[in-house]
Amino acid sequence: MNVSRIAFGLTALLIAGCSGTSSAPAPATTAATAQGSDFKVALLTPTAVSDAGWSAMAYDGLQQIHSQLGAKVNNQVAEGTQIKDAMRTFAQQGYNLIIGHGFEYNDPEIQVAKDFPKTVFVSSSGGETAPNAGAFRFYLEQSFYLAGEMAGKMTKTNKVAMIGGVKVPSIESTFKAFEAGAKAANPKVTVITVFTGKGNDVAAAKNATLSAIGQGADFVIHQADAAAQGVFDACKEKGVYAFGSNLDQNDNASGIVIASATIVAGPAFVDLAKHVKDGTYKGSVLLMGMDKGAIDFVFNPKLKDKVPADVQKMLTDDEAKIKAGSLVVPKDEF
Amino acid sequence: MFSAPIALAAIGETVAQKSGVLNIGLEGAMLCGAFFAMLVSQVTGSPWLGLAAGGAAGLALTLFQGWFTVLLAADQVVVGTAANLFALGLTSSLFRMRYGQSGQLLSVPKLPVFDGLDGVLLFMLISVGVVWFLLMRTAWGLALRASGEHPESVEAAGFSVLKLRMQGLAFSGLYGGLGGAYLAVGITGSFAENMTAGRGFVAIAMVTFGRWNPFLALGAALLVGYADSLQFTLQARNIALPHQLFIASPYLVALLVLVFAGKGTLVPRALGTAYVKER
Repeated sequence: MNVSRIAFGLTALLIAGCSGTSSAPAPATTAATAQGSDFKVALLTPTAVSDAGWSAMAYDGLQQIHSQLGAKVNNQVAEGTQIKDAMRTFAQQGYNLIIGHGFEYNDPEIQVAKDFPKTVFVSSSGGETAPNAGAFRFYLEQSFYLAGEMAGKMTKTNKVAMIGGVKVPSIESTFKAFEAGAKAANPKVTVITVFTGKGNDVAAAKNATLSAIGQGADFVIHQADAAAQGVFDACKEKGVYAFGSNLDQNDNASGIVIASATIVAGPAFVDLAKHVKDGTYKGSVLLMGMDKGAIDFVFNPKLKDKVPADVQKMLTDDEAKIKAGSLVVPKDEF
Repeated sequence: MFSAPIALAAIGETVAQKSGVLNIGLEGAMLCGAFFAMLVSQVTGSPWLGLAAGGAAGLALTLFQGWFTVLLAADQVVVGTAANLFALGLTSSLFRMRYGQSGQLLSVPKLPVFDGLDGVLLFMLISVGVVWFLLMRTAWGLALRASGEHPESVEAAGFSVLKLRMQGLAFSGLYGGLGGAYLAVGITGSFAENMTAGRGFVAIAMVTFGRWNPFLALGAALLVGYADSLQFTLQARNIALPHQLFIASPYLVALLVLVFAGKGTLVPRALGTAYVKER
């Protein structure tokens, strides 16, 4: 029979298949720099770094560590039970800094950090620390609050919507801030929330957005990462405005992104890596907000004339208040 | 509109299963369809060419699979799973090679829509009838169905079981590819890694749900699609129930129908078993 041919063919197919999936992070492995630096930084992300959102932003930060500090960098998707394994593997390979991009990396890193005192572990959000482990928490709620205020002031239907992918505490916290902002600006506003439950399902994100618009929403903010185009496409079809999130999405082809609530992760990542490289890092929780330039609210220059002058003024004033600390935006601890 | 990708894939899968081949790789065919449709639509600016490319990509992956499962009599579930992994790896790698490691929110030309109806939806409505006619009212359809029931007698009657099964598979690949392509250039005008999100597997369930009848498979897909849209509307109305309950509801509907419709002897008897010609 053809058993050997089958075996050969199947192996080839499987190898092709496996290498296709598992090698996806491999191209990110950057070769040693010319100086032969032995400073090594690893990044663990909850989703693929090609999501043009949360994980992509961390990947860009990692690349800045590579280009500015000459560090060897590596990144990998790790979730659930894989997190500790991945942390231990990188630590054993002599990585100096391991960044887990999400609150879910905080607990595992504290446990793993005990066994690897020479490695620094940092998670994006989370509250626990150890001598060689800590967190920085991006205060994205601040710009979501401003987006909420803008939507609350400008809505004609008194309904605004938030579209999410998978419901996780960090996303819920930003949504609460958006709602607080909207209600502060307009007590009559109703906030619609729809989760698709799936990360990359662009069509589901569009369907969810259409449902929200069908209920009367005329401003939509999202936390849909890779599926965000589905949100923007639905908004474009129905002629309503959307907000970008995590990254500046104002130049999206849909042309309806009126402003973006962004995280500027690069400087924070580079700063952290510098401290680790100098050996001056101490485990702590850093709150990265607008005052440190880590969070920003960016108007789309092409649509800025659609925003009434008094709304613009309110937003600039409140941004200044947030920076000064006189306006404290609610955030969840998780 | 949102249930069309699943419906198209289910129609194609019905033909494959009738011929005795279980195409587990349908999800992979859809994903390849979505990626290449997006790519070609972006490069050429023509969503129609993209649609054709998507169908062709699904067809190519499935025929490659058929080489193993039909011609070399390998295990259909194993090969199908391998094909799914291959498709996910291939499309993700190509996506990152072309659009960068950190990805892009793509926007590509979409198919034109007239009064809520577009070419693909029309094609779907016509082809469900055509596929039913081919299966149930032609000599070819009789032979194809027989090769899913009792392949030895088909071979004895002078037909080639392997050829018929490859043709059955070709339907599932083409329709799966078109379904995925429609997701990319019909519904969203975009692409994201693994954007099919399990629709291929739902489509396979719809075939069982639809009792191996293309019309019923279409109806099943529409019903589950309706449940899916309904759950978003219920969420948007701020109905105070856990959102996980809503998200699970389409699958619950599918499961319930399978529980009540799952019995009976409609399953093609030779489904999933390879045919090896006697020597």
